Amino acid sequence: MRHAFRALGFSLLLVAIPAWAHHSFAAQYDSTKPVKLTGKVTKVEWTNPHIYFYIDVTDEKTGKVANWALEMGGPNALMRLGWSRDSMKPNDIVTVEATLAKDGSKLANVRTVVLASTGKTLLAGSSEGTIP
Amino acid sequence: MKTIAAFMLALTVICVPLYAQWLKVPSAVPLGPDGKPNLTAPAPRTSDDHADLSGIWEPISPKYLRNLAADLKPEDVPYQPWAKALVDARADGSHAREESDANCLPQGIPKIAAAPAPWKIVQTPGLIVVVHEAFNLWRQIFMDGRQLAEKVNPSWLGYSSGKWDGDTLVVDTRGFNGKTWLDQAGKPTTEALHVIERYRRKNFGSLEIQITIDDPKAYTKPWTVTEEMRLMASGELYEFICNENNRDLDHLPGEAFK
Repeated sequence: MRHAFRALGFSLLLVAIPAWAHHSFAAQYDSTKPVKLTGKVTKVEWTNPHIYFYIDVTDEKTGKVANWALEMGGPNALMRLGWSRDSMKPNDIVTVEATLAKDGSKLANVRTVVLASTGKTLLAGSSEGTIP
Repeated sequence: MKTIAAFMLALTVICVPLYAQWLKVPSAVPLGPDGKPNLTAPAPRTSDDHADLSGIWEPISPKYLRNLAADLKPEDVPYQPWAKALVDARADGSHAREESDANCLPQGIPKIAAAPAPWKIVQTPGLIVVVHEAFNLWRQIFMDGRQLAEKVNPSWLGYSSGKWDGDTLVVDTRGFNGKTWLDQAGKPTTEALHVIERYRRKNFGSLEIQITIDDPKAYTKPWTVTEEMRLMASGELYEFICNENNRDLDHLPGEAFK
């Protein structure tokens, strides 16, 4: 099953399984500003209407650590994508591909999460991928 | 395109959630000669010989959530001048905070069906119930011939009655509160909103809804769109309490919800 998932590619999966957004994606995030962040998970809020988790990201040049808020789909959308609330835990090292918030805060809407411990990619139920 | 659509449909069938709440769930989906679920099988019928619309449905894309008139030309939406001015002001997303569902308040009809959370039709001869995963909301569609009173308390999802036109379920809904947007683009509604939905199950796996928006205070004449739903062939509805942790509001532009 998982091999089939990989072979199909993520773009198709994002289209195939619409994710819940209870508000306008375009009003909150700037689809022209993708970002890739790696850091340690400090907190996971496995809650409706959207899951938020937080990671500490270290700036390679300055060594300064910043805590980022990362938004995904809701628990129901993520369960349908194969997640459970144990899929990602505090202290896990993750790399996320996401879209930056328009308001300039350290907030991004996540498309994929890669767990460093397993190398496994988890789709994040972003509603961005389904923009027609 | 058809091949992709069929492929995606097949994909949703084989995507059994890894975190299912229920085990040993019997499937209602007929199997084809190859032993696989056949979502293009004929639509089922009830024992009283009506189309059976029962099942869990979801939109095939969020297109109509973003723009209910996605298939129309912009000039084909017959706005009243004030409604056009409002939609133009909302177009850049600068009022997204003022949309009811961003505040965990109900989406209204017809937006709730176009939002990508599944919903379940429970069909009995005298009453059809729609259970929406979205915010744990529900609709009752009375099929027993009752009529709506002249004056009713305004409501988020209105008061619905239905009748059969052949195999098409025709649902009339009135009595709205005018606080919801028809889509995320911000098409307004008023308390004069009257929605006519025509549900037709084209085959086992697909449901078409023709929607007419009749709101003379916001639109100069009724206008009609058609949305496509697909059967969620496996899985169930889950609880969805929106106000559990709504952090987005602080990041959305606009005024507080009124």
